[in-house]
This record gives sequence, structure tokens and C-alpha cells, in this order.
Amino acid sequence: MEDLIVRMVSRIVVPFIQVYGFYVILHGHLTPGGSFSGGAILGSSMILFALAFNLERGAKKLSHETSTIVECAGAGWFAILGLVGIYMGQNFLTNKEAGFYMGAPGDLVSSGAIVLITLGLGLKVASTVVTLFYSLIEVEGDAHD
Amino acid sequence: MTFINVIHAHSTVLLIVSFLLFSFLMPILERWKNSWCATMAVAAHVLAFVFIGNLSWRVFTEGTIHYELGGWSPPWGIEFVVDYLALFMLITISTVSFLILIFGTVDLTHELKPKVLGLYYTLYLLLVGAMMGLAVTNDFFNMFVFMEIAAISACGIISVKSDRECVEASFKYLMLSAVGTGCVLLSVALLYMIGGHLNFAFAAAAIQDVAHIYPNNILVALALFSVGFIVKAALFPLHVWLPDAPSSAPSPSSAILSGLVIKIYTVVYLKLLYKVFPIELFDLLPVFDMILILSALSIFFGSIFAIVQEDIKRMLAFSSIAQIGYVFLGIGLANSTGLTGGLLHIFNHAMMKSMLFLSAGAIIYCTGIRKIDDLKGIGLKMPVVMGAFTIGAMAMVGIPTTNGFISKLYLALGTLDANKHFYLAIILISSFLNCLYYFPIVINAFFGESEEEDGEEEIQVKKLPLRMSVPLIILGAGCMIFGIFPKYILVIIERAVEMIL
Repeated sequence: MEDLIVRMVSRIVVPFIQVYGFYVILHGHLTPGGSFSGGAILGSSMILFALAFNLERGAKKLSHETSTIVECAGAGWFAILGLVGIYMGQNFLTNKEAGFYMGAPGDLVSSGAIVLITLGLGLKVASTVVTLFYSLIEVEGDAHD
Repeated sequence: MTFINVIHAHSTVLLIVSFLLFSFLMPILERWKNSWCATMAVAAHVLAFVFIGNLSWRVFTEGTIHYELGGWSPPWGIEFVVDYLALFMLITISTVSFLILIFGTVDLTHELKPKVLGLYYTLYLLLVGAMMGLAVTNDFFNMFVFMEIAAISACGIISVKSDRECVEASFKYLMLSAVGTGCVLLSVALLYMIGGHLNFAFAAAAIQDVAHIYPNNILVALALFSVGFIVKAALFPLHVWLPDAPSSAPSPSSAILSGLVIKIYTVVYLKLLYKVFPIELFDLLPVFDMILILSALSIFFGSIFAIVQEDIKRMLAFSSIAQIGYVFLGIGLANSTGLTGGLLHIFNHAMMKSMLFLSAGAIIYCTGIRKIDDLKGIGLKMPVVMGAFTIGAMAMVGIPTTNGFISKLYLALGTLDANKHFYLAIILISSFLNCLYYFPIVINAFFGESEEEDGEEEIQVKKLPLRMSVPLIILGAGCMIFGIFPKYILVIIERAVEMIL
């Protein structure tokens, strides 16, 4: 799709969408929303970019391989944060007693492991959305070969 | 803090987390070292054996294990409980899935494209992890989540071959199991509405208190649970997804679907019936009688459908419907002998059905034959495979010295205890029907002459690799050993039944 207006608008809009996505992810423990909604916003910005330009330029920014790896690493990150609790001599997924920094309630850096988990899962959801998009596009591509 | 202490204190959760973590890391490993994926999957199972060994030692010495995730105590936090029933399922799942995996490491390289091979192990480990989670969970919401994980990954391992039949079968399974999980979610919502708890123990106490105020809620919840789990477990009227799925999927997928996945839902259903719902409810609504009728229909029609099948894997899939009927028969009898028989049949059928599917897979691997009529004279060319198949067929029919005999004996005694002689007749008729479709294959394979008309050449037989024959031999030996010495598994089952009733 060669449309100057769509390209210019999406070029301007994409950074704002991404900042908003990160905002929702990072405030997951304070405000409504969190890793899933924020991740979906973040992932949709990549889809918008790939749709407005073309798949090659989109894949240059974030390739299918990278998004798969980020997806797996995000899920693994959750499990590893849970294992920190066991390493510290507590139960699986223990938060405060395992020595995570709790901060003051209401601050951005607070709530211990929750904020780390939200960050990892937000990236996981974003890359899952992108991976699904790539998978669907590529299946269609195969059919036309 | 030593390593052994960590295993000792946390083996319940480490068991499930190790499966999930290994499956998450598998796609990364696949890009880096493709050939290590199978080894990693085997390593996850070996690790699981360590944890399950520790769990069984603790359950036998200390009794039921409760594990609180995150240190939050039950009404608020998530709780995993390992009792004898869960331990029995863990042992069944880990042993059978390990043997299927060993078989699969060779068979899958033949059946799948190399591109999806690493991802297959991801889905396989997810499925096994989710089943183990279902066995130990003590929480409605976790039950629902693990059911979803198991459903999605089961769809993945059915459709992995990405030909037309597989995609159709997995779509069918996806839709029907979505209906099933939808029913379960709805009834969880109904129970949460009146009980206010998600933990099984607390929900049961709360429901007991309010049962006389909201009987309709509980009845609807029970009905929805029943429908959901009957779809998942493929009991007769709602079995339509099962024949397609295992017959088109790769053989290890068929083995794990028919052998384990449909069983775990019956166990969860059993757990809910006895742990959550108040016992007075069953006077109001004869659930157990309904289960008995459905299981009798399932036993009868599963066998009837199996007789007319031409494809060997499709026949085995229909036979699974009949065999899951036995498990439900044990649940429906609701006395200790019958329930022992039902639970024992879970273990026995997991072994014999996965062995039958794997030997069917080995026949397809070595010769490419799927039609039952073409199997004439194959027995002497593939003695190990057809030997295993023969033991499986004998166990299915329930001939003494095989494990099928023991579980059918317990079920038959259970029907006598419950004074329901009609179901004894059903068990006997079904055994004859089993004879009718299993033994012709065996007799044809060993004594049938392959017709060599039109100058047709002999069937080409590839050599069976060691990694495919060893799981078959172990499963066959297991069927015989547990037929002669059933006490080694009955030790756990009898305590589980004692705890349930």
C-alpha cells in the first residue's frame, strides 16, 4: 500500500503509541491495565508500522525470530522470578519475604516482584501479538507460492 | 540450604514449573542447537521423576502435602495439594509420557517436518505440565487455567502435521473443548457467586452452608461441570472429537491423547464430585446413575463403532471411548471396589492404549500400512511390535495375567456390591465385543497368508530402531507385571479410594 498520508501519520503516531504502551505496562501495579493491555498496545504499534510500510521494513525493526525469542524469554522470566523465592528460602513466587524492594505504596518503583513480572509479561504479550501477526501473514504468503 | 533440602521442600511446585520452564526455553534452544530439543524434553522428564520420587516418599511417610504459592495461606492464595489420588495420577502421567517421548524421538523425525520438530517438544512439555497441574491443583481458577493450557497444547500436537485431516480434527477439538471449558468456567462462576471461595476445601464448606438456600445454582453448576468434563473426557454422546483427533495426528500425540489427556479430566471430575459438592445433593439429583447410564452406552457403542473401522488408529480411538466408559463406570458405582476398579483402569488403560497406539505407529513407521486388512502376515516380520500389540489386545479383552483382567474384575465385583447386575452384563458383552475386533487383527497378523495376487511384491519392512522397540517392550512387560502383581499400584489406589469415599 503506497499511501503517503497513512505512512506519515503512522510514522508520527507509532512512538506515541509505544510510549503509552510502556506507560500502561509500567503502571500495571498502580492503575487499571497492566501487562496484557499494555503489551497489546505495544504490539499493535509494531503491526501498524508493518501494515503502513511493508513487511520487510517491519521485519527489519523486529524480526519474527526476535519476537519469538522475546516471547519465550518473557514467559521464562516469570518462572525465574518465581524461583528467586525458592532461592531465598521461601515458597515459590514469594514477594516481600524474598527480599524484593517494596518501596512506598503508590510509587512507580514499588510492590517488589510485581513490577518486574508486569514488565516481562508486557514484553511477552507485545511480542506474542507480533508473532501471531507474522505467522498469519507468512502462512498466507506460503499459499501464494 | 542444600540442593536436597530445596527439592524436599518445594518438589510439588518445582515439578510443574520445571515442565513449564523447559517448554518456554525450548524455542530459544531450537534456534541455537536444534538437535538438543529431544534431549531437553527427556531431561525434563528425568527431573520430574526425581520430584515425584520425593513426593511419593513424603506422601507415604507424612501424609497429604499442602503447598502454598507465595506464602499466602489458602483462602487468599493458591494451593497445591498432593494426596494419594494426585500422586497416583502423577506417577501414571510421568511414566507413560516418558515412554511415549522416548518412542517419539525417533518416530517424530520421520513424521514431522524438521521446522516444527522443536516446537512439538514445547507443546508436549506444556501438555504434560498442564496435566500434572490438573492433578495437584486445589483451586477452581488454576483448574480452569491448566485446562486451557492442556486444550491449546493438545490442539497444537494434533494439528502439527498441518495436512487437511489434522487441521480439521484439531479445529473440531478446539471448538468442542472450548464449549467444555466454557461450561466449566460458567459453573465455577455460579459456585463462586454463592460460595465466595475458589479453593476447593473452602468452597465445599461454604456451599455446604448455603446449599439449602440456593439449590438451583448448585444443580446447574453440577450439570455444567458434568457436560464440560464429559466433553473433555470423550464419553459417549459427546465423544465426536476423539475418533478424528488421534487417528490423524502423529502416533505419539495419539498415544498421549487417548492414553492420558482424556483420563486426567475424569480424575478432576471425580475430585470435584467428592470434594466440592455436598453429598445430600446426590439424593436430589441422581448424578451417579446418569454417569452409569452414559458409561454403559459409551462401553457398548464405542465397541460397536470400533468393529466397523478399517483404519487401525481410528479403531483404537473408538476403543478408547469404550474404555473411558469403564473409568466412568467405576466412578458411577460409587463404592470402594468399583472406584478402585475405575482408578486402576486409568493406569492400566493408559499403559495398554499408549502401547497399542505406539505399536500402530511402529507398523506405520516400518511399512506404511494403516488398513487393518493389509496387516496379514506381518506378525512374523515384526515380532516385537505385533507381540506388544497382542499383549495389548489381550489386556483390552481382559484375559487373566494381563492388567486389563484385574481392573475388569474389580469393576465386576463393584457392580455386584452395588447390586447392579445389568452393568455386569455390559462388562461381559463389551469383553466379547473387544475380542471381536482385536483378535482378528492378531490372528491375521500371525497366521494370515498375505495374498500375493497380481505379482504384488512382499511388504517392505524397515528395521525397528532400538528407541522405538524398548518403550514397547517396557509397556508390554508392565501390562503383564501389573496383571500378575497388581498390589504395587493398588497400594496407592486403595488409599486414594479410602480418602475419597
